[in-house]
Formats: sequence, structure tokens, C-alpha cells
Amino acid sequence: MTDAVLAQPTRLSLARRVIDGGGLWPAVPALVYLVLFMVLPIVTLLTFGFVTIDRGAITDGGFTLTHIAGVLGDPLVWNLTWRSFWIAVVSTCLTLVLAYPIAYAYGHLKGVWRTLLLVAIISPLLTSALVRTYAWIVILGGRRGLLNQTLLSLGVIDQPLQILNTSTAVVMGMTQIHLPFMILPLLAVLSERDRRFEEASLNLGASQVETFFRVTIPMSMPAIVAGFALVFAVSYTNFIIPQLLGGGNYSTLAVQVYEQTIVVLDWSRGAALATLLLTTCFAFVLAIVSVGGRLTRWSEVRR
Amino acid sequence: MMRKIKASSAQAMLPIDRFARWVLIAVTAFSILLLIGPSLIVIAISFEPRAYIAFPPSGFSTRWYQAVFANQQLLDSILVSVRISLAVMAICLLIGVPAAFASIRGTFRGRAALNAFLLSPQMMPGMVIAIASLFFGAYIAFRASDLMLILSLSVFCLPFVVRIVMARLADLDPLLDEASANLGAGKLETFVRVTLPQLAPAICAASAFTFIEAFDNVTVSLFTSDVRARPLPVELYYLVQFDSSPIIAAISSLEIGLSFVVMLIIAKAVGLERLGR
Amino acid sequence: MSQLVIENVSKGFGTLKVLRDCSLSIAKGSVVTLLGPSGCGKTTLLRSIAGFLIPDAGRILVKGEDISHLPPNRRDVGYVFQNYALFPHLTIRENIGYGLKIRRKPKAFIRQKVEEALGLIAMTPFGDRYPKQLSGGQQQRVAIARSLVLEPEVLLLDEPFNALDAQLRLSMQIELRKLIDRVGITSIFVTHDQQEAMTLSDRIAIMRGGRIEQLGTPLEIYDHPQTPFVADFIGRANLIPVAIRSGRTDSPQPIHSAMPDGPGTLVVRPENLSIAEGPGPGWEGSVGFATALGATIEYEIDCGAGEPLRAVLPRRPGVAPLTPGSRVTARIRDEAAAILLSGSPRP
Ligand SMILES: Nc1ncnc2c1ncn2[C@@H]1O[C@H](COP(=O)(O)OP(=O)(O)O)[C@@H](O)[C@H]1O
Ligand SMILES: [Mg+2]
Repeated sequence: MTDAVLAQPTRLSLARRVIDGGGLWPAVPALVYLVLFMVLPIVTLLTFGFVTIDRGAITDGGFTLTHIAGVLGDPLVWNLTWRSFWIAVVSTCLTLVLAYPIAYAYGHLKGVWRTLLLVAIISPLLTSALVRTYAWIVILGGRRGLLNQTLLSLGVIDQPLQILNTSTAVVMGMTQIHLPFMILPLLAVLSERDRRFEEASLNLGASQVETFFRVTIPMSMPAIVAGFALVFAVSYTNFIIPQLLGGGNYSTLAVQVYEQTIVVLDWSRGAALATLLLTTCFAFVLAIVSVGGRLTRWSEVRR
Repeated sequence: MMRKIKASSAQAMLPIDRFARWVLIAVTAFSILLLIGPSLIVIAISFEPRAYIAFPPSGFSTRWYQAVFANQQLLDSILVSVRISLAVMAICLLIGVPAAFASIRGTFRGRAALNAFLLSPQMMPGMVIAIASLFFGAYIAFRASDLMLILSLSVFCLPFVVRIVMARLADLDPLLDEASANLGAGKLETFVRVTLPQLAPAICAASAFTFIEAFDNVTVSLFTSDVRARPLPVELYYLVQFDSSPIIAAISSLEIGLSFVVMLIIAKAVGLERLGR
Repeated sequence: MSQLVIENVSKGFGTLKVLRDCSLSIAKGSVVTLLGPSGCGKTTLLRSIAGFLIPDAGRILVKGEDISHLPPNRRDVGYVFQNYALFPHLTIRENIGYGLKIRRKPKAFIRQKVEEALGLIAMTPFGDRYPKQLSGGQQQRVAIARSLVLEPEVLLLDEPFNALDAQLRLSMQIELRKLIDRVGITSIFVTHDQQEAMTLSDRIAIMRGGRIEQLGTPLEIYDHPQTPFVADFIGRANLIPVAIRSGRTDSPQPIHSAMPDGPGTLVVRPENLSIAEGPGPGWEGSVGFATALGATIEYEIDCGAGEPLRAVLPRRPGVAPLTPGSRVTARIRDEAAAILLSGSPRP
């Protein structure tokens, strides 16, 4: 018996080595593809922030810091960055609060209920974000918006609320649209967790609430951090939702990037803004991961 | 569901736990409603007989669906999107499946780095990939076009294929390959007769997933698609802003229907739980 | 001529030497078991024969022909994997026919061979099922049939009973031995279970630390172990360190020997010890522990220094076992049953 257990892992790696020579070559097409169509373009993007572009061609000026300096010196850009940041943070926190109970409940469900919940989680994931944004326009939109209709007819309010075209609408939309991204990592961890830790905690006299906060949540910390980082990044860089739910005059850093590149066609500024978006996004995600990493290490030591 | 949650804790409960339980149930119910409610509303209003949105719909009519199929511009854009998505799917499978193979079965040094690199497009905001493609294209004098859209969407979709196929490959028993060799099969024969049939469900799920991701993608499409032949997401993006009739709800409902088809395919092929990993 | 010859095969992984100079030759139609503790290199040797591993040194010959550098799919050697490695996407019939199909045999021929094989393992009614729908024992038979239809020169089986529960094991062992005899195929088994080895094999090769320590029939090895390790591994044995001086051991009960002077090990099987109450010539000590096993009683006797002696005596109904603490003397029943080896017990 023990022999089987001991021999297994070595045999696996051993077998792998033999089967196909373990070569890199099958990955070569994908590597070449990514280098050509991801790495080179991103290098180009980063370069474009430091040269002057006219109709897609680099003009003679050569290396210049004017565009980056122009972007960094613009208070409007900093305002928009700040707005992008807090909208992303608020909506990510909301997603977490809404996602956790679902993922937790999923672990307690069996059979058809479990499947139905999974369908409820996955189906939005596979539905176009545009369609789901449109749903929010329908719900929040002016006087005929679903929400106003309902509230007015119930007599809760007597003036239609103006939600569409405000930050509230953007946050609501982002939260709902990114909810599945938060649920899935939590689901994987929570549905496979070892219940004995919780039982041990109950057995030691903790209430279920204490157990939840002292055992369940710390143990799912890695998934929380992963989900948080992911949802933050997609919220921070999303420009469709702010544009459609925030209205014509509403802008964030990501919206600016889109407008400069596609509408204004000032590619140098667009590139500089995109560089700012990308670097700040990575910086924030890194911060999240490192803070989370500290919390996780702590919880892993416990484990 | 509530019954289940209650049943699992038949022991005497502290008051705080009972309270917390109801909070948990309430938030869960709200979240579920939030997840599926908006889509259901869109489906409902797509059957509105009048020319403007109302909920609940004032009657039942399929006129907006007829309108979709009578709208040549929409039909064209759907066709463009189908073509592009199929091309993206083909590219991603062609380069993604072998890559997943190398990154699971490989024993070379730097396999972890390869993994990270193959999955790295996931880390990139879609917009950055799109703008970068646009700029790079311009730099080499290559305009936004169907081809550019296909190439940039494939970067975006590649990690989906790699991940789904990798997960399945990691589950395969490598001893099966040895068994096949022992029974006389060469490496290629083993791949065709043993590995590929077992990968088939994963490849099928990955195809469906890639197709719908490419089909639905607005962000990348807005930057790199051909202005004269708009794909559906771009068409819809403008419609949403400038049209207030339920025709958008009708298209949206069709897209929701498509997402259910994809979900069924994935569920049948590898199970929905897999998507969570 | 031997069907399979292994000549000075060595294999290492990095700095770890897993096989050292293994040599073995197996006659046509005989069954040899590789027996040894876990990690001693049994699987590595088997995989080298099948071609999944390339030895660092040495040769492997089948019917006198060197197959050392053939890839696994060109070797005429069947391999039954520990977990059977049945193809999950193929039915039982397709699994059994796989090798013939690879060899591009005519369809009718394949069908006939597969049906024969199914009949041989009494699995005809299960032919269209998938491996997952079979029990462990059935899967094992299919795995064996899948190799046998190809009529290989040698059949290798790596711990084929490990995945089966204890109840099934013995009946499957006998079943399998009958099957092998019927087909008359040269086979090598791997196991770390000595009972299994004794049941199945014509000869046993005891492996230790990458070496083949002894090769012989089960009874040869039991009665004449050549090293203390073998003595201890096959059956149970008391290993008593002794010194040999001028033709006899210095033990309380001296044993005569033609061996030169020096340290030695006296190997005594527990059933070859007798026990008398009170002092006397022999190993004096006190009963430490008595276990009544039904037909026999096993005593552990503390003799001061060294490990306690174990003695197994037939139990006579109505006679109470000796109580712990009783002073006793142990003697070797029959000097012919004592085995004297040179060297200390645990080098
Ligand atoms: N591919 C490998 N790489 C490194 N060490 C290995 C490999 N395969 C086996 N070993 C080592 O070789 C030794 C013998 O392994 P194995 O032949 O499986 O033993 P057994 O089958 O007798 O239990 C073990 O110590 C094992 O860890
Ligand atoms: Mg082994």
C-alpha cells in the first residue's frame, strides 16, 4: 500500500518525461503569436507616449516627454484617475459583499438547487456586457425607467429619481456586471473547503458568526484577494459602463483614453493616458496583492 | 434552499446566529436576483408591442424580433461577428491546444514562466490590448480591419482555451500514454487515439467559450474593427446610445439565448463547475 | 536459451543510484517475482525492460536479441500497469483490440482475437462496457487480456493486486497464476508482499537498494537465505549476532560450522525455537509478551542484551500459556534448521 502511495508522484513525473520528450515546441506558435500581436503592440503603445504621432506615423521630433508631462501636469487627468480609482474600489467592495454569501450558500446546497445557482452565476458571465449594461439603462433610465416606474406607482417617491448619468449608476452597473468574476474564485475555494475546521471552532464554543469571521473568511483569504484584484482591474479599466451609464459628460481615465484615441484622434495623448492607466492599474493591483499576500500568509501559517 | 440551510444546523442556535442566518439568506437572495433579474427584464420587454420600453410589457408581440430580422444592417453585423468569432476560435484552438500540451506535459526549464506568459493576456486590460494593436497596426501601415480585429481578439481569447485545455490535460493519466506505447503505438498515434479523444470535451467547451467571448466583445471591437463592416457589439454599442425602441431588447434576448446554448454545450462537455477554476 | 536476460543493468536519477548492476535471466514460461521493500527499484527495473526508461548501463535481451535501444512501442513486452491504465474512452472490446488495430491487423482477425481473449478471462458479457463500469478485479483481467492478445514474449506486471481489496486479492492471485500457466507466458511480477510472491512465482528475486540480493524458488529462499536481509524479508526470523571461533559459534547453544573465524549471524525461524521453563542450556530469559493466535502461541523472550527472541509454538488446548515474567530457556529445535551467515545482522 505505502509503496503505491510513495511511488505515484515519481512515476507521474517520470512518465511525463518519457511521453513526449517534454518539449517546448508545441507552444512555439502561441509564443510567436503573443510576441507578434501582444508584446510588440504593447511596446509600440508605450513608445507612442514618448514620440509625437501624426496619422499613425511618428513625426521627426523623436523622443519627447511633452505628452507624458502634459498628461501628468493636467489636474483634470488626476481628477479622473481619482474618480476611476474610487469607483473601482467601491464597486469591488460591493461585489465582494454580494458575492461572498452566494459562494458560501453554494457550498451548503445540494443537487438541483446547486445546479440552478451555478446557472445563475455562469449565465451572466456568458452574456454580453453590453446587453447587461443595456439592462441597467432600462432599469435606471429616466421617468420610464423601471425603478422610477415602480417607486412612483408604489408612492415611495413623487418625483422620478435621477440615477442614470450619475456615479451611482456607474457603480451599480459595474458591481452587477462584475459580480460573477468575484463569485467564481470564491466558489472554487468555499465549496471545497474542509468543514472540519468550522466544526472544530463550533466544538470549541464559538458561535457560527464568530466561526464565520474567524475561520471561514481567513481561510478563503487567497480567493478573496484574487477576486478583489481581478474585479478591481476590470472595473478600473472599463470604459463602456461609465460611458453608457454615466452619460455623455461623464468621464473616467479609461473613458479619456478611448476618447483621445478614437474620437479626438490625438494618439500621442491617448498613448500617454493609456500608459498612465496601465501603470496605475498594475500599481494598485500589486498593492492589493501584497496587502492580501500578507493576510494570506498569516492565514496559511494558521493552516 | 432555505430549507437546506436550516436543516444543516438543526442544533440549538444562538440568537446572533439566527439573526446572521437571516442576513445571509437575505443577501444571497438579493445577489441572485441581481445576477439574473436584469436579463429577465430585458427578455420581458423584448415582447413589448409598443414602440417604447415598459415593464411589465403592455402586451405580447414578436414584432421587435421581426424587426431584427428585417434590419439588413443588423443582419450584416451579425454575419460579420459570426465570421470573426469563428476565425478567432480557429486561431485560438490551433495555437492554444498545443501550447497547453507543452505547458502541462513539458519538462523543460521555465515551464512556469511559459504558463504565466500564455495566460498573461488575461492580466492585460482588454482596452490596452486593443489600443496597442491599433497603434502597432498603424505603425506597420495596417488599418483597423476584420483581420486586425481577429488578431487582437485572439490575443484576448487565447488564455481561455489554454486554461480549459490545461485543466483537462492535467487530469489525464500519463500512464495511458505509456500503455498505448506498450501496445505498439507511436507518439503521433497515441496522441490521435488516446489523448485527443479525451481532450475532445475540453476542446469543445473551449471553442464554445471562445466563440461567445469573441462574439460579445465590445472593448476590443470598438478599437480594431473595420468602420465599414461593424461587428454586432459595435453596432449594438451605437444602437444602445441612440435608439430607445425595444429592438435592442430583442437583439439582447437573442444574445442571452445564445449564451444559454453555450452554457449547455459547456455543461454537457466538461460541467459548469470547471469554469470556476 | 533464456527468454529474457537482464545483464548488469544500472540506472540512476541524478545522483540517486536506483539500480546497481542488476542481472537476471528467466526461462521461457516461468514466472519470476521481484520482491523488495518500497523504493528498492522494482518499478524502475520493470520500466527499463518495457522501454519507458533507458538504463545507464547494461543490456536487456529477449530471446537472445538485444532490445536495449528499441523504443517502448517496438518491444514485444506486455506491461500491466498498477492502476491498469485502461483507456477510459474505449469499450472493453476496443481496449483489448487496441494493439491489434495499431498493428493494422484485418478487422475479422481482430474481432476473433478479441472474442477469444474475452472468453479467456470470462468477460464476454462485459465486452461493450466502459472501464469505469467494471470492478477492480474485472479491470485487472481486461488489462492482462489487452496485453495477452498481442502474444508478447514477456509479460510484466507491476503490483497488479495493489488496487484490489484484501478479500479479492488471494482469489485473483490464484486465478492469474492459472491463466498464466494456460497461456504459458514468461512473466515478471513486482510486489512488496511476500505472501503474494510465494503464491505466484516459480522463482523470487529479492531486491534491496537497487541490487538483486538473491534469486531462487520460494522454498529455497525461505530455507536458505543468503543474507540476513533476505532471511528477515521472507518469513520472519530471529537474527542473532554471534562470533565464530574455531568451527563453532559462541552462542549459548553452539552451532557447528566450517566458516572461518569472525562475526556471524544466526538465523532462526520462530517456529524452530523450543521453550522450556526454568534455566538450562540455551538462551535464558523471561517471557516479555505472549500472544495466543489460536493454533499457535507467539512468545517474545527478553534475553538481556540485543533484540528479544521470538518463538512460535503450537498451542495445546487446555494448557495455559506461560505468563509474562516467567523464566524460560529457548533452544533451537533442530540444528539443521539453523542457518549461519557470515557478517553482522544489520550491516
Ligand atoms: N523519475 C524519477 N526521478 C527521480 N527519482 C526516481 C524516479 N523514479 C523513481 N525514482 C526513485 O527511485 C527509487 C526507486 O523507485 P521505484 O523503482 O519506483 O521503487 P519500487 O517500485 O521498488 O517501490 C525511489 O527512491 C524513487 O524515489
Ligand atoms: Mg513500485
